[in-house]
Amino acid sequence: MPQPLAPKEAAQFRTIIRSFEDKQYKRGLKTADLILKKYPRHGDTMAMKALILNSQGKPDEAFPLAKEALTVDMKSHICWHVYGLLYRSVKNFEEAIKAYKFALKLDPTSAQIQRDLAILQVHVRDYQGYIQSRKAMLQARPQIRSSWTALAIAHHLSGNLTEAENVLTTYEGTLKSAPSRFDGEHSEAVMYKNSIIAEQGDFQRALDHLESDAKHNLDRLAVLECRADYLAKLGRKEDAVQAYRLLIDRNAEHIDYYEKLEQALEISRDDAPARKAIYDEYAAKFPRCDIARRVPLDFLSGDEFRQAAESYVALMLNKGVPSLFANLKHLYSDSFKKDTLREVVEKYLTSQDIDSESKDKGEAAGLYYLAQHYNYHLSRDLAKADEYVDRAIEKDPKSVDFHMTKARILKHAGNIKEAAEMMDKARKLDLKDRYINSKCAKYQLRNGENEKALKTVGLFTRAETVGGPLADLLEMQCIWYLTEDGEAYARRGNIGLALKRFQALNNIFDVWQDDQFDFHSFSLRKGQIRAYIDMIRWEDHFRDHPVYSRVALDAINLYLAMADKPAANGTNGADEEDALEKKKAAKKAKKELQRLEREEAERQAKQDPNKGGQAADAKKKDEDPLGLTLAATTDPLGEAMKFLGPMLQAGPKNIDAQIAGFEVYIRRKKYVLALQCLNRSLSIDAENPRVHEQVVAFRKLLNNAPSDLPPKVLEALKAEFTAVDATADLTKYNQDFQEKHQASPLHVLSAVKARQTLGVDLAKCEKEVHGLIEHASATFTDAIAALETLKSWRSAEVESFRKAALAKWPNVTRLSE
Amino acid sequence: MDIRLLTTADLPLIQHANLENLPENYFLKYYLYHALSWPQLSFVAVDVSRPRKGAYDYPKIVGYVLAKMEEEPADGVQHGHITSLSVMRTHRRLGIAEKLMRQSQLAMVETFQAKYVSLHVRVSNVAARHLYEDTLKFRNEKTESKYYADGEDAFSMRLDLDDVAELAKRYAGGEDEDKDKDEEKKKSNGAADAGAGANSAELPIRSEGVDEGEAVGEVGRDPEAGDKEKKVKVAVGRGLGVGDLVEKDETKH
Repeated sequence: MPQPLAPKEAAQFRTIIRSFEDKQYKRGLKTADLILKKYPRHGDTMAMKALILNSQGKPDEAFPLAKEALTVDMKSHICWHVYGLLYRSVKNFEEAIKAYKFALKLDPTSAQIQRDLAILQVHVRDYQGYIQSRKAMLQARPQIRSSWTALAIAHHLSGNLTEAENVLTTYEGTLKSAPSRFDGEHSEAVMYKNSIIAEQGDFQRALDHLESDAKHNLDRLAVLECRADYLAKLGRKEDAVQAYRLLIDRNAEHIDYYEKLEQALEISRDDAPARKAIYDEYAAKFPRCDIARRVPLDFLSGDEFRQAAESYVALMLNKGVPSLFANLKHLYSDSFKKDTLREVVEKYLTSQDIDSESKDKGEAAGLYYLAQHYNYHLSRDLAKADEYVDRAIEKDPKSVDFHMTKARILKHAGNIKEAAEMMDKARKLDLKDRYINSKCAKYQLRNGENEKALKTVGLFTRAETVGGPLADLLEMQCIWYLTEDGEAYARRGNIGLALKRFQALNNIFDVWQDDQFDFHSFSLRKGQIRAYIDMIRWEDHFRDHPVYSRVALDAINLYLAMADKPAANGTNGADEEDALEKKKAAKKAKKELQRLEREEAERQAKQDPNKGGQAADAKKKDEDPLGLTLAATTDPLGEAMKFLGPMLQAGPKNIDAQIAGFEVYIRRKKYVLALQCLNRSLSIDAENPRVHEQVVAFRKLLNNAPSDLPPKVLEALKAEFTAVDATADLTKYNQDFQEKHQASPLHVLSAVKARQTLGVDLAKCEKEVHGLIEHASATFTDAIAALETLKSWRSAEVESFRKAALAKWPNVTRLSE
Repeated sequence: MDIRLLTTADLPLIQHANLENLPENYFLKYYLYHALSWPQLSFVAVDVSRPRKGAYDYPKIVGYVLAKMEEEPADGVQHGHITSLSVMRTHRRLGIAEKLMRQSQLAMVETFQAKYVSLHVRVSNVAARHLYEDTLKFRNEKTESKYYADGEDAFSMRLDLDDVAELAKRYAGGEDEDKDKDEEKKKSNGAADAGAGANSAELPIRSEGVDEGEAVGEVGRDPEAGDKEKKVKVAVGRGLGVGDLVEKDETKH
């Protein structure tokens, strides 16, 4: 029970709560101290004080105080509630839920505690707990529609569709009159129920429900799309045809409608003339529709393709649509179409009646297309690409697009340095366009110019952000820049700043996960339930996004390199070279730190003294701006796990994640998990060169049976690892792999690496790597991979390889780095 | 290029497109706020012809319109608002911006009975102004001095949605006419068609776009709002009941 207070203090206590809500923290603390002066062991006041301290960013004071509050008043729901709130704020949801449950036991009627508990339950996906909470909340407030909807959501998310539907139907039964047709909450509730019926696979009932209850629904597009979908699924072809035609009339640029229309019309995918007729019909109906003109190029062939391509290409080039190549390049996997498109544009350029004066239409657009054509990897001839882009630039020496393409051509030639310079030239042609500014900064980062790139993007970041452009990019969650910046630092060997960026990115993804928190209650008030469900499902897997796996792989690779090179941490076996490098790095870091401090001082001097916020600044101060602490970690593999775990969980079908997983687990001696990754890799792509290296390494490991491995585990591993037999001759196995993939330089490289693993003399392996330069199909990308391998062996051959490779590929920036 | 309704899974790449193209940026929660408040109003143009890369490929966003309803309209009239619109420089001149806008406007009328749609555009953004004024027939209401964070003025534009309402009625097959009597006097049916007929849009020279800046309560504060403090109240975590303890959103920046 809360300890009783005298009326004056009771009033003061209410003041604390108000102060807290209004974020008047100082006032709240003052009032709390007043009460505590008179009642030094008043638990609720101590708890409130702890809560305010925590909000002020002082968890170190808050937690002990909240604990003390509990010891003096174990029976106070307020103390327990605060305890839960504190745990919630540090994202210890499990402890928070426990505390809320205690609080609720002490005060079962508290709607507030019940609500906080419920939100946390759905947040951590404790659906059974959420159902219980929502049932209790429904009992407390059955007159409110959202109480019912929330319980339906709880059942729905837990997978109990029938019960979810029942709850919604029960509520509908309580309605005395039909809600207004402009009642948004009702309108959405109907569509939500409809989606649940459809999710059960009962399309007839879903259709009936739609036609009876959603006739005047406010979400017209959803009604039309659902109806078309159900009709098609129920085999009511004629009605489905009408439904999809209606949808195309509303939005003629959605390919899905056309494909469903074809299906409803029972047109075979191979029946090109019949399909073409549909698209022609809509091309005539909607003169400005792109899909109706472009999509037939996907399925037409031979002369019909050529004809259609001619008219489409001419239309687009006459208008000067710059995305023409981007919209057609997917056809290049068909070599006939690839050649035909080139011929069509060449023919277009020779025709007499095209516009040869315009800067971006007609001839200029045709030249621009061919420049992109020869720059594309399936039709690459960089000399020709360069020739065409130069001719296009002659037409318009101020074209951003043409210069941008010229920069891309240079990049594909491996000349990153000149590519970055060219992109900067393009940027200067339109200083007000952020797109070209972003591209320029990206190329500068690829060229290792982190400082310059920051100045470039700084032209568009908000000037008033405390901390300059980088702080703005962090705040705005600018994933692409932070990723490229980190990768550039990693290439430059600045492990600290590279890790700093990758950690910052990881924090952003954490924020994305936390972002859903407010919507658990917000969406119920807004009533947009289907969108909320869509969000919940996305949050459950969003780390499968390539933007995350790229960062995770970058970070893991750095940590792996750190784990393989313990010398860099100044522990065992530091050789002279490393010590020297370390000294140099430390000196550089010190200089960099001084520079940052100087800039910060300058910035503060410039700041408007009338704008307060000094306290907020102090809170934001970064203790490790250069990432030196991150780079000095003694447990790089443990740090790698923080990226690996979420990546593997969200995206098990990503082979790069599995490959990285094997490398981390094998170093941590978690052989069962390593094998799990390896087996998954094998099922995704057994011929992957990196996977081959891992197979050989793992077989060797099992054959040598590490002494720290319990016999039972060894037996299990042997049983689970079937890629190579225990009795196999690994040398021969590796040789066979190499012969099978002789045409691929990367596969050969992997075979050499595997040979090194098997104990073949390093000098011999180095020689083989060196030989890859002469491989018939070697590209400079392969040469870079070979160079990296030699570097990782700390081979004496690095310089001679570099020299030979540069002789063959003279302008490749990465080979001279 | 393919135009469809926005889904939550599109948001990271919409945010990316915004950051790459426009100077007014938002963190992900602000996009979530739109997607979860008015899911019918925002549309994307995606590059469907790009070959899939890996098992977890998300469609590349080449254009988007992020739209909302004004929560507490000062004039008491239901209306929509364009928060942000952008088309990649590489995908200009296909009329994408216009097509995205028309889808959004239709939904504003159908779902939220919007009477007009408003937006802000930088005075210096000639390309975007051309799109709004000439192609979409917005008219300039007033100039808002120093609207943007860098001190630039904005034109505050609006477009009446009467024609779109007519179109919506046609799509509905006229079945609701009696029910809508109390709504709007009917206009002659010179409605602009969502696809055909409208004058050919000669599209912008730069990545076109509008950017909005209105602070939005606790969910998704708009970072561009700066000092303007036009707060729209979205009560999140409003304190109720015993103890009056509130889970405040402390994750805000």
